[in-house]
Amino acid sequence: MALLSIENLQTHLRVGKKEIIKAVDGINLEINKGETYCLVGESGSGKSICALSVIQLLPTGISLHPEGKILFDWAKKEGGSAIVDTLTLEDDDLRKVRGASIAMIFQEPMTSLNPVLNIGEQIVEAIQLHHPDTSDSAAKAQAIEAMDQVQIKDAARRFSDFPHQLSGGQRQRIMIAMALACKPDLLIADEPTTALDVTVQAEILTLMKDLQKDIGMSILFITHDFGVVAQMAHTVGVMKQGKIVEQGKMRDVLMNPQHEYTQKLLASVPENLEKPAKFIPEKNHADDDNVFEIKDLNVWFPIRTGVFRKVSDHIRAVDGVDLNIKRGTILSLVGESGCGKTTLGRAIIQLQEPTSGSVKLDGEELVGLSNKELVPYRKRMQIAFQDPQSSLNPRLQIVTTLIEPMTVHGIGENKEERIERAAKVLEEMQLKRDHLWRYPHEFSGGQKQRIGLARALVLSPEFIVCDEITSALDVSVQAEILQLLLEIRKKQDLTLLFITHNIAVVEYLSDETVVMKAGKIVEQGLTTDVCGNPQQAYTQKLLEAVPRLNL
Amino acid sequence: MTNKKIEMLEHKRSSGFVSKVARETFAGWGAKIGLLWVVILTILAVFSPFLANTVPLLVSKQGEISAPFLRYFNVEDVIFLSGFIILLFIILTPIKKSFFKSFATFVVLMTITVIVANIFVKPPALIIYDDFRLKQNQGEYDWSVNAPIPYSARDYMRDSTDTPLREPLAKSDFPHYMGTEENGADVMSRMIHASRVALTIGFIATGIALVIGIIIGGLMGYFSGIVDMLGMRLLEMFESVPVLFLLLTFVAFFGRNIYLIMIIIGLTSWSGYARYTRAEFLKLRKQEYVQAAIASGLPLRSILFRHILPNGIAPLLVSVSFGVASAIMAEATLSFLGLGSVDAPSWGGMLNQSLKASTFNWWMAVYPGGAIFMTVFAYNLIGEAMRDAIDPTTSKRS
Repeated sequence: MALLSIENLQTHLRVGKKEIIKAVDGINLEINKGETYCLVGESGSGKSICALSVIQLLPTGISLHPEGKILFDWAKKEGGSAIVDTLTLEDDDLRKVRGASIAMIFQEPMTSLNPVLNIGEQIVEAIQLHHPDTSDSAAKAQAIEAMDQVQIKDAARRFSDFPHQLSGGQRQRIMIAMALACKPDLLIADEPTTALDVTVQAEILTLMKDLQKDIGMSILFITHDFGVVAQMAHTVGVMKQGKIVEQGKMRDVLMNPQHEYTQKLLASVPENLEKPAKFIPEKNHADDDNVFEIKDLNVWFPIRTGVFRKVSDHIRAVDGVDLNIKRGTILSLVGESGCGKTTLGRAIIQLQEPTSGSVKLDGEELVGLSNKELVPYRKRMQIAFQDPQSSLNPRLQIVTTLIEPMTVHGIGENKEERIERAAKVLEEMQLKRDHLWRYPHEFSGGQKQRIGLARALVLSPEFIVCDEITSALDVSVQAEILQLLLEIRKKQDLTLLFITHNIAVVEYLSDETVVMKAGKIVEQGLTTDVCGNPQQAYTQKLLEAVPRLNL
Repeated sequence: MTNKKIEMLEHKRSSGFVSKVARETFAGWGAKIGLLWVVILTILAVFSPFLANTVPLLVSKQGEISAPFLRYFNVEDVIFLSGFIILLFIILTPIKKSFFKSFATFVVLMTITVIVANIFVKPPALIIYDDFRLKQNQGEYDWSVNAPIPYSARDYMRDSTDTPLREPLAKSDFPHYMGTEENGADVMSRMIHASRVALTIGFIATGIALVIGIIIGGLMGYFSGIVDMLGMRLLEMFESVPVLFLLLTFVAFFGRNIYLIMIIIGLTSWSGYARYTRAEFLKLRKQEYVQAAIASGLPLRSILFRHILPNGIAPLLVSVSFGVASAIMAEATLSFLGLGSVDAPSWGGMLNQSLKASTFNWWMAVYPGGAIFMTVFAYNLIGEAMRDAIDPTTSKRS
């Protein structure tokens, strides 16, 4: 008998008064003891809802289960075991199961700990809740042991730290420690590493695997990343629109996918995308034909302390960067969060005022110009953003968003001509002409990103900063956007600065790569060199941490 | 898909944010009741000369038909009527336009009306109401049509032998639905005419406060740094001014002018709006679409008023409806203290009258008190519903 077996589970969510969404629509799966089951799918496929159904954390008012069973082999703490259906379990029993036998960790480490309690207390609380007879000192000892287990250094001393004193990775470790403090039989991990940097992700994944070996628990692991699946899973289930379209042993599914949806998803992973033939710009640019020449660029943010807000130190977001961006190349800027890559991108196009240094566009100095003086240069350098939700003004029709910059820069004779041009650019972005007359909320994330790119392209710039434009997108949509970018580049003489943390995307897309760490450039060169044969220790570590799909 | 569903989708596509919020706001019962009351109030205010007037609406004198009440229209009557017509015109014209454009059109047309009305409307300075009743009684007209309440607000019934302070519906030659006040004027007529003060004070005071608040708050939020610092200090200075004492002083110096009071309430109550606007601008200026607007080299005017303001206006709209309610309360308080306008009727002033009389006359307290309560309640209901519509996370409905 499997530890958890879900039989024909239906989870419906009520939207409005009558409408119902079948978030989970007839799922069957089994998780054996000590096994990791990876549920993988794109956003909105119902994988999180499925996990929340297991532990019964969905609000009762809006969710209902017209059919199905979630059978859990409940090894009771007071001895004996019984097979229970968590869907019909009484609240009292459910509370005993939650935390003690089924534990859960969430995606967002920043918000899943209570900020006003210190981390030790939170672990102790979890222990004493399920083992009320544990004494305070014993619970504390257990908590410290649990923290040791998740490799928090100097656990006894950090016991009374508050969540804000820990980094994202450490918080996720504490979450894991809390979840494991009661030695559950099943751990549900809902995208536990999605919000973390690759190096931290690698550590957490290794930790989870080690702990699983020690304790022998089962894991229901939810993710959208096939790289992570390849690292973690014994069994994989691929979800699409509330249904599992394919499941099986991890190797079978990843190496030899049967269902066409799985095939499509796997083909969209940047590592599997067909690498385009090396692109040679039509106009052969000389080697020293640089769009941007950046010398000793600094962006420092002051840290003020004391009563008089005296500047005591600086955060050096960008610290003495020298960089030449060759015309017609795609330059990737990679690094972990907080390394200053976004700030550098914005400082180059003068969205962020540099503290000192020089940025030359075609030999013309940009640093020190006033906003008015910058206007003629703005047309030549554009930016596209990460978050599809906030990159378009929700109150303006797409047409207004697109033609307003054209009007300012005097592109097109009259409004009709501008609208015509906007429509053309939209069509280039594989959108429809009548999308011009819609508002942003009517589009999906991928469509919004295309419109964001269109807004940059209507001014026919020479240079575009793409700031993590695919990070918030599903893999299949990401693949489409990446291919689109390459196509545009083929048509126009365009230089791209592609800021990302995703190494696979870098390898697929870019000609040159720059690796940043703590505001400084660590390594730069041709992508094939940097990614294929990294020289610096940091680059090597970064590349090793990337969860690879090839088994 | 049925036709109706397609229609709905089409509708969704073309509707902007304001109409969406309006739809959601007035979906519930509370806001509907609030809106109904405000509409009733507006109709009363606009048509008060038609509803409560001693001067007959239509008379026939030796076969010649005339409308004598038109001659006695004062500036206020003209402004209210034309305002109503402009509003209807803007709402009913089939041309699609944004909320902000219609609003701007309304403000501009109203300003013109106010100026024109002040120059050209010259009603007779003295009205002897008793004359009209006398003429009618003597049979000078062939026939005449009177207003439903045949008493003007300032008609003190000098020709009547009834004692003042009569109870509602007391038996008399002149029936009064809500009784009379201490000078003998009809309470219901005064109630109807006073709805104008309640309506205008809300809009003028809040309008002034809103404009100042948005400009100062917006500049503070967008530029931050030293501008923000200075702006905040200015704001704190204004917040520390006790409004009631300021009003007392102004009334002492400049006399009891209701419009002056509105302006002062407006000039001193913008700090809340400025704080809201500042917070929104601080948050929104780092939004990516604002960054994109800057990166496209758009002029500051467009960035502030096209890309930031419409997105930050939502919490302001909520506080506006509460602001209107509190402005009405402020005016009522002043009038209650006996500092309101002397002659023009106002609800707060009527409450004051009820207090001053030697006996407690319930009809002098209940009607104006009830009206103030209903009006403030109505605006609060609308504000509450609007907050839920704008920010679904605060909604009580899950």
